[in-house]
Amino acid sequence: MNKYFSTKTSIAVFAAPALLLFTVFCVYPLLPQLWMSLHNHNGFQSLGFVGLDNYLSVMKTSSFWVSHKNTYLIVAISVLIGLPLSMVFALFIDVQTPRLRRFFKSAAMFPAILSVIVVSQIWVAFYEPNWGLFNAILRSIGLDGLTRSWLTNEKTVMISIGLTFLWQYIGLNAILLYTGIKTIPKNYYEAALIDGANAFQVSTRITIPLLQDVMKYVLILSSLGSMAFYAHVRVMTAGGPGDLSRTVIYQMYYTAFDTSQFGKGTAIAVIFILQCLVISFLIQRFVAREKVEF
Amino acid sequence: MKNGIRLFWFVVGCTFLFPLYWMISMSLKSKSEAYVNPFGLPKAWAWNNYIEVLSKYDFPLYFKNSVIYTGGTIVITLVAGTMLAYCLSRMSWKFNGAALFYVSLGLIVPIEVVVIPLFQLVKSLHIKDTYFALILPYTGFSLASCVLMLFAFLRSLPKELEEAACIDGTNVYQAFFRIIFPIVRPALMTQSVLIFMRVWNEFPLAFILGARDQFRPLTVGLHSFFVSVGVSHWGHIGAAMMLTSLPTIIIYMIGNEKIENALTAGAILK
Repeated sequence: MNKYFSTKTSIAVFAAPALLLFTVFCVYPLLPQLWMSLHNHNGFQSLGFVGLDNYLSVMKTSSFWVSHKNTYLIVAISVLIGLPLSMVFALFIDVQTPRLRRFFKSAAMFPAILSVIVVSQIWVAFYEPNWGLFNAILRSIGLDGLTRSWLTNEKTVMISIGLTFLWQYIGLNAILLYTGIKTIPKNYYEAALIDGANAFQVSTRITIPLLQDVMKYVLILSSLGSMAFYAHVRVMTAGGPGDLSRTVIYQMYYTAFDTSQFGKGTAIAVIFILQCLVISFLIQRFVAREKVEF
Repeated sequence: MKNGIRLFWFVVGCTFLFPLYWMISMSLKSKSEAYVNPFGLPKAWAWNNYIEVLSKYDFPLYFKNSVIYTGGTIVITLVAGTMLAYCLSRMSWKFNGAALFYVSLGLIVPIEVVVIPLFQLVKSLHIKDTYFALILPYTGFSLASCVLMLFAFLRSLPKELEEAACIDGTNVYQAFFRIIFPIVRPALMTQSVLIFMRVWNEFPLAFILGARDQFRPLTVGLHSFFVSVGVSHWGHIGAAMMLTSLPTIIIYMIGNEKIENALTAGAILK
């Protein structure tokens, strides 16, 4: 029957639409990206081949380095603070009573289903210097000295945006990890309990080691997700004060669409893609190399 | 002690819901009350914030646009994606393996990265000022996960399904739409929810390709309202945020478990 259904025509009819859409809108754009990055391009036409000049000149701007510093700060926040916290949340969800578990899961995932735009605007209000939540809390406990304009202060701006990002996705990551925990066979735990292991030992000796695959997935997801950090910055500070809260993608948007230097914008994009490839390669290569068998 | 710990986690859970409470209460405060009483319950319930936002500004249009973008992407992705998944899982084609690998590459390209060439592409295809300017790129980027999930689903179905159809003399297209499509409905539901969440909330691409007022989705409309029009009226901003989030919140309340399963499918699929 396979032969009967698999004529040349039917294969073409079934495979072509999706392959065409995927190729044209997802894969193909990477090629003009490379081509444009080697040209002086204003968005309408190429003004000539310039070789690697775009790359050299974007790397000479200080905004380029500021944006990289900020982007990697966000990556560090979400990997070094976000993931361990999500793991704690996931382990907690696992040992909870069903009612509290249901409540906590629905609540923790809630921010992740809201649009970044909505979440960022809410947090703009929380950081507002005169009537915002954080300053109000600080004043009410007598720490007036610590109040500040969180999003216009160059020292606090990036941390503040990072906290919003952390808050939005920590619950989702926790639930991803929890889903992994559920797939670990129950008898592992029973055996450990018979041997007299406590909750901490069970977590560190059984749950976490057996969770490597899921952890790797969450690690890739959140490190690449925070590399592409952009929309929060657009809403909360528009890159300010000055260029101090720009991220790499923000710098790319700014260069291409605000200053019409499309060649330079695509050069930033190509540099960015290379970094993403290196990061995913490093994670694939060095995290969880042994296959865990149940 | 035990109750103390549970109370602690209950409070942590509530901090995730606090912004929802804040958004709702803000949307019902008058312009002046928002500044005096930013975190309490509204004293006078200003329902006309919603009426004003819907009548004075273009939010009904943005809402319609978001529905079109989301619906269009879901329909095209599901039809094209299921057809390809069907071909790769149940037809004998020598490039099946290669095509599956090729499509799965789509999982690793972040959409923000190709926004500049996509902008050029959409201009040269002359679809810049149409709904397709966003629907087609969204489709391209949604296909990978759709094809992979449907592929896994279809491969688990018994071969006898179409054999019966063969004997009845139906052709492959009838078999696909009458037999396969209804069977894969659960997987299609999961994918619809995923695509809905992504497209409804998408901003970076829409900011560039849906920038013309007439074609703005809610996220872009809300952003421009926030930075230019509504700046000082937090009641209006709150109402606009609620309108943007309401469909997601409703779907989340109905299909909480489904969304959780959809979002976590990738983690255990591997």
